This record gives sequence, structure tokens and C-alpha cells, in this order.
Amino acid sequence: MTALEAPYRTTMWQVVEHELIEARRYWKGVLITGLATPLLYVLALGIGLGTIVNKHSNSLGVPYVQFVAPAFLTAAALQVAATSATFPVMAGFKWIRFYHGMAATPLTPRQICDGKLLWVGLRTLVGSTVYLAVMAAFGGLHRWQGVFGIFAAVLTGLAFAAPVLALSASVSAEGQAFNVLFRFVVTPMFLFSGTFYPISRLPRWGEVIAYVSPLWHGTQLARGAALGDLSALAALGHVGYLLVWLVVGLGLARWRYRVRLTA
Amino acid sequence: MAQGLTKSFGTFTAVDGIDFAVERGEAFGFLGPNGAGKSSTMRMIGCVAPITAGTLRILGMNPVTDGPRIRARLGVVPQQDTLDIEMTVRENLYIYGRYFGMPRAELKAKVDALLEFAQLTDRAKSTVDPLSGGMKRRLTIARSLINDPEILLLDEPTTGLDPQARHVLWDRLYRLKQDGVTLVLTTHYMDEAEQLCDRLVVMDGGRFVAEGSPRSLIADHSTREVAELRFAPGANADAAVALAAAISGDRERVEALPDRVLLYVSDGEAALRRAHHLGLSPVSSLVRRSTLEDVFLRLTGRSLID
Repeated sequence: MTALEAPYRTTMWQVVEHELIEARRYWKGVLITGLATPLLYVLALGIGLGTIVNKHSNSLGVPYVQFVAPAFLTAAALQVAATSATFPVMAGFKWIRFYHGMAATPLTPRQICDGKLLWVGLRTLVGSTVYLAVMAAFGGLHRWQGVFGIFAAVLTGLAFAAPVLALSASVSAEGQAFNVLFRFVVTPMFLFSGTFYPISRLPRWGEVIAYVSPLWHGTQLARGAALGDLSALAALGHVGYLLVWLVVGLGLARWRYRVRLTA
Repeated sequence: MAQGLTKSFGTFTAVDGIDFAVERGEAFGFLGPNGAGKSSTMRMIGCVAPITAGTLRILGMNPVTDGPRIRARLGVVPQQDTLDIEMTVRENLYIYGRYFGMPRAELKAKVDALLEFAQLTDRAKSTVDPLSGGMKRRLTIARSLINDPEILLLDEPTTGLDPQARHVLWDRLYRLKQDGVTLVLTTHYMDEAEQLCDRLVVMDGGRFVAEGSPRSLIADHSTREVAELRFAPGANADAAVALAAAISGDRERVEALPDRVLLYVSDGEAALRRAHHLGLSPVSSLVRRSTLEDVFLRLTGRSLID
């Protein structure tokens, strides 16, 4: 039996390896941003704004920085996940076309799609760990169980990235869809997902946005882990809701990758 | 290998029921103008695009069920580069081998050998972006060989390259053919087809309009020689009418172009002499052998298709 009659095994990890080689070139910049962003947020909002909020005897039960830190963690994860599921995907299909190169090899469109999502997950995992470490260093962590917020953050990132991958695999016009996505979906989610204050302070329509938004569910999980005020049932509900986004989104993404790569 | 192979996009039929078989070790070419269906055919053979109708077997396997297994044994040089321009030359070869699941240790030696083959050893650490078109094309071909393919699919491998780069590429492809690799290529360069192909088909509008070896295609669809007569501007059409008397035989013919008249004849010099006897005096004239290009233009027409 020659080597050619026994094809080597291909898996989605080879798609991750492609991302890793690319990451060799940009990891320093990403690390600096990854350290600076939580630092700025925790200083400006947690400690700066927090000083004012805490002065007026806040009703949250914990220092303001400990209230917002888990929310910033999930919001940052969502931002990172959305970014790596948009422009780099456009590059793969259109600008650099490396996906078309992959499609000519034994890799299947499904492996290419799954590998991309796996990479988004790994990237979010590393990013969230750094983020949490910085916040913890500035007193953002109420109790040690708050580290489980990392998993909430990764799950939130994956849940949102999956349908975004489907979108990115479908669009052919440069960037316009992504501008809409970031301005009218990602940013409003950040503002209406109980990041800065409990959503009970929002008008009814704002609460509805929060319930739909995967970010609110992720934030509830991360905050629950940090503050210990979330019931097991509620936690299960949030995880379930995020998993629905992930599963449906992945199905859509696989479908769009297949259509695009076999056209 | 293929029977009644068809590819449709909505109501548009790009490939319209073609039959062909390629032998192992053969160099087989698809010739045709833009939009003839060559690339669609290549994407079906490459097990990337699904077939709409007909049957297709590659290496004895069915692309519908065995796509990845077939692709594992193919090399693909696409019409439009899919190189990772932000990566280095070496990284491009390495990661492509990884897509085939080749072990890292095995890849190192393979990558070195292919860098040598593509004459890119001294550019191994350069990113792809600044490379010249010819270098990128050589890298694409080197990359397509990473898995020691049994069949190499080349979609317009030398389009856009300067003559030096084309000849280097042809030389490389020739060596692969000597090594027993089956070459399947598309081109609209007749000299490329004559250089590389044992057998070729001319495609137009999704169908085959002719097939055979370059030599037999010329014999079947053109004459042995072509006499080109250039008259004063505006006088070519009238001269063509007069020249109809200068030809004989069933395959000989006259073609009037805006700037010259072509006589497709078995003996060009004799035809020129007959033209002079008819009292015609062209500004300039030459006699050449028929080429594949004459066949191509005869079969697919001179008007632009796209």
C-alpha cells in the first residue's frame, strides 16, 4: 500500500493550524490590545465612574467595579468573537481566498467552517483569561468562582460567532454588512444587556432586547459566577439559550460555507 | 471518466453533456474561449463543484461519495491564485501539506524539495505578496505537488505571465509528465496546448466541437499551410473575392480580415503564384504552416464571446 492509497487524516485542527501560523505575525498587537482594553475599562468605568456610583451608596451590594467586571468580560469576548468571525472570513472567501485553496484539498467545507469556529473559541478563551486576570488584579473579582466567567464568556462568543460566520460566508460586498452588524447589533447589545446596571432599570422594550441578546444571558452567567446570586435553574436556562444560538448558528454557518465553497 | 457531464447554474448550462476519458500519464487539454465551460469542468473534476447531471469517475471513485479521498490524490492549480499572501513561501507549502494531513516531520524535506523545484529556495522566507506573477505561479504549482498527486489539474496555468516565466513553467510541467503525472489543463494559448498536450478537446458553449492530438486537429480542421496576403487598406475584401479563384480542393478556403486575406491551402507558395497570375499584387505576403490557432479560430469563431 503506497502512501497515496492511505490518505492521511484531515481534521478541523488543520484549519486551526492555519490560523496559528497567521497569528504568529499579529499576536503581539493582539496581546497589547488585550491587556490595555480591560485596563482602560476597569480604570475608567469601574474605578472612575464607580467612585461616584459607590458614593451614592449603590444598591448593588458590591463595589461597582465588581458588578461591571464580569459584564465587561463577556462583552469583550463577544467583540473579539464577532471581529474574528467577520473580516478574516471575508479575507478567506474573497480578499486572499485561502478558503478556496483549502477546499481543493481533502478538507471539507464543514471542517473548514468548524475549524474556524473552534479557532474563535480558542481565541476567546485566551483573550478572556487575560481579561479576567487584569480585572482581578484591580479588585474586579468578588470571589474566586468568578473565574468560571471565562467559560460564560467563551460560550457567549461562540453563540454569537456561529451565526455571524453564516453571514460572513454569505456576503460578497466589502464590509457594508459588517458595519451594520457592529453598529446596530453589537454596540446596542453592549448597551442593553445589563452591562452597566441591572436590566430591571430599563423600560419594558429595553428588557425585551436584553432577553433576546445572547450577551445578556452570558453576562448573567458570568456575573452569577462572580457574585454568587444566580440560581442553578436560571443558570441552566442561560446556558440552554446560548447553546440554541450556537447549534442553530453552526448549522447555518456550515450550510453557507458549503454553498460558497462548492459554487 | 466522464459521460454526459453537465453543469448548470440556474437556467444557464455551463457544461452541456460532455464525454471524455483521460488515460493515466496522459496530458489532456481543454481549449476554448472564455465562458466555454472549461473552468466549470475543472471544478467538477477537482471534486469541488458538484455535477448537475451525467457520471464522473476519477481514479475509479465517485466524487459525490468520495470527494475528500479523491482530492487527497489530486493537485490543483486554480486559475486565480489562492496563495496565502500574508504568509511566507515556506509556510504556504507547509500549511498546504498539513491540509492533506501530512505529518510535520515528513513535510520538512518535502517542502525543501519543492522550493528547489520551483526555484524559490532563496525566497523561502519572503512573504508571498511581493513576489512576481511568475514566482507566485511557480509556488502555486509547487504547492499543488505537496501530496505527490497522481493527477494534476491546471486551470490556465500561464495566463498573465511573461514568456520567460511561461517557458520555465512548461519545463517544470514537462518534467512532471516525464515522471508519470497525469496532466489535465485548460488554456487558451495554442502554443501551450501544442507544447504540453498529447490530446485535447476544443470546447465552445459547454460542448466539445473537436478532439484529437494537436497534429490530427490541424490535419482535420485546417490545411497544411496558410498564405497571408496583405493589401492596401480597404482593398482586402475585394481581393478576397478575386482570390476565390486561386484555391481549389474541398478544404481550401479564403478568409478576409480587415487588414489581410488568409488563404488556407495545401501549398502556400503555389497559391501565391496563382494570386500573381490573377493580377493581384499584395503589399506583403508570407507563407506559414497551419497552427492550432487556425483550428481554434475556425471552430470557435473570431468574434469576442464575452
